[in-house]
Amino acid sequence: MTIEITALTKTYRGGVAALDGLDLTVPTGMFGLLGANGAGKTTLMRILAGIVRPTAGRVTVGGHDLATGAGRHAVQQSLGYLPQDLGVYPDLTARQFLDYVALLKGMDDPAVRRRRVGELLEVVALTAQAGRRLRGFSGGMRQRVGIAQALLADPQLLIVDEPTAGLDPEERIRFRTLLSQFAGDRTVVLSTHIVEDIAQTCREVAVLAQGRLAFRGTVDDLTQRAAGQVWSLVTSGPPPSEGTVVSALPHEGGMRYRIVAPTAPGAEATPVDPGLEDGYLAVTVPDERRPVGR
Amino acid sequence: MIATLRYEFRMQIRKRSVWIVPALTLVLFVLIGGSLLRDLFDPAERPPEAKTAVVGLAVQVHALLSIGFGCLLADRLVRDDRLRVAPILDATPASRAARLVGKYLGAGTATAVPIAAAYFGFAIAYAINSGSFPAVLWALATFGVVFVPGLLFVAAFALTLPLVMPAPLFRVLFVGYWLWGNVVPPDLMPTLSRTLFNPLGGYPLAGLLGFHGIDGAEVWAGPIPGAALNVLRPEPTPLLAWLSIALLLALAAAALAGGHWVRFSERTRS
Repeated sequence: MTIEITALTKTYRGGVAALDGLDLTVPTGMFGLLGANGAGKTTLMRILAGIVRPTAGRVTVGGHDLATGAGRHAVQQSLGYLPQDLGVYPDLTARQFLDYVALLKGMDDPAVRRRRVGELLEVVALTAQAGRRLRGFSGGMRQRVGIAQALLADPQLLIVDEPTAGLDPEERIRFRTLLSQFAGDRTVVLSTHIVEDIAQTCREVAVLAQGRLAFRGTVDDLTQRAAGQVWSLVTSGPPPSEGTVVSALPHEGGMRYRIVAPTAPGAEATPVDPGLEDGYLAVTVPDERRPVGR
Repeated sequence: MIATLRYEFRMQIRKRSVWIVPALTLVLFVLIGGSLLRDLFDPAERPPEAKTAVVGLAVQVHALLSIGFGCLLADRLVRDDRLRVAPILDATPASRAARLVGKYLGAGTATAVPIAAAYFGFAIAYAINSGSFPAVLWALATFGVVFVPGLLFVAAFALTLPLVMPAPLFRVLFVGYWLWGNVVPPDLMPTLSRTLFNPLGGYPLAGLLGFHGIDGAEVWAGPIPGAALNVLRPEPTPLLAWLSIALLLALAAAALAGGHWVRFSERTRS
């Protein structure tokens, strides 16, 4: 299910531009969407899910135009959506909540619905808590309920917005594996600002910055965008004044800094191999705006 | 729509306040005033006719418990946004209009259950106590032509008006409206009481049930000499009683349509 986005613009009331003429093609398979908070990722996800209409531009999903009611309906019939700010009905149990969403997704056969809800509760390790009201669930448990509801009705398009927020490291790894296994011949759009989640699951990625496309390519391409710009510097003095500090680790005689900068940030700096996080910084932070010592 | 109706009913019926509010209202009413609720079981005090007794009971129960009914429904629609569950529901292929109607009927029916239980409970107890079993049939008829249209009218506005104002403010304004539009005598100040738009059911009471108060001398519909808005108070007839019911249902439909527009069209456009 290919997503074609053409000149997509979304301006909220008050003139705040969340998306500014975005052109993007999302192929079948796992696709990562990276960007800082406020880059426009969530707005794009909400438009793709058919719950917000764009101000201008066109989006087609599997050939269905989201500008039309029929197109939105067709897309939503094969859509799984996990919003960033997930909410649930606190007075329903996990099983009831999933049953309700399954009904809204058109799973009318009670036996099929019960079986699918049971399977997904097992997948997200909530079988033992299935009869408890959601009021008493922790943030991580609610997130797992959210993941389960997104996977109901076997969606061909899965849109997950910051899905690992609130999950512990073990749950994060489990969810990433689940997403990768689920993708297959489906389209999974994973929006996040956690670079590691993209690195571990996606082959292709887009980076949004201020509502515009800052990068589109493979994860390796994004990594290579920082080639020759990543440096290691050990110093006992103040942080380097040039470039973006990616990490700072205590080291014998001072601190070891990892820095993304177009030129060596000091005479003692040595070049190192770039990582995905370095590539992300290389395309999102312009040279002249790289903060000192960040 | 059926799925939403089912789950909204289930969630609302479990709310303790849905049961506590009408129960407390009835207890306070019986304790404070000389009420028909008490007199029903006193052969010396109760109306001699079964119809007069159960229709009079309906007026009191409807006038009292509908206030809580409206207040209890005021958070039902806005809470989907407050709980942040709306995006998940909106991303499903289920029609948004159908979900709104499902919520309206599901939550409304659940909130009406204690009212129906109280009314039919008293009516059946009266029927047994007085040996007048046609009272139950009169109660059924009264519920159908007085309670149902009135509660459908109240539920539509209680669900949708909090989309454009805070729910607590709606509750305050609703209580004021209910007293002004149903209780205030028309010759005291301009009011909708005893008009075709009266959700307490003045026209069905007078035009369909022939009810003129416990003592047979009260005016529930029709013109009041010297009152403003008498144009909305034609002499009650069965036809005008059905027109009054139709007007209430049309206004309820308009409120739902307006709420649908506010909730979905506004949200999806910048």
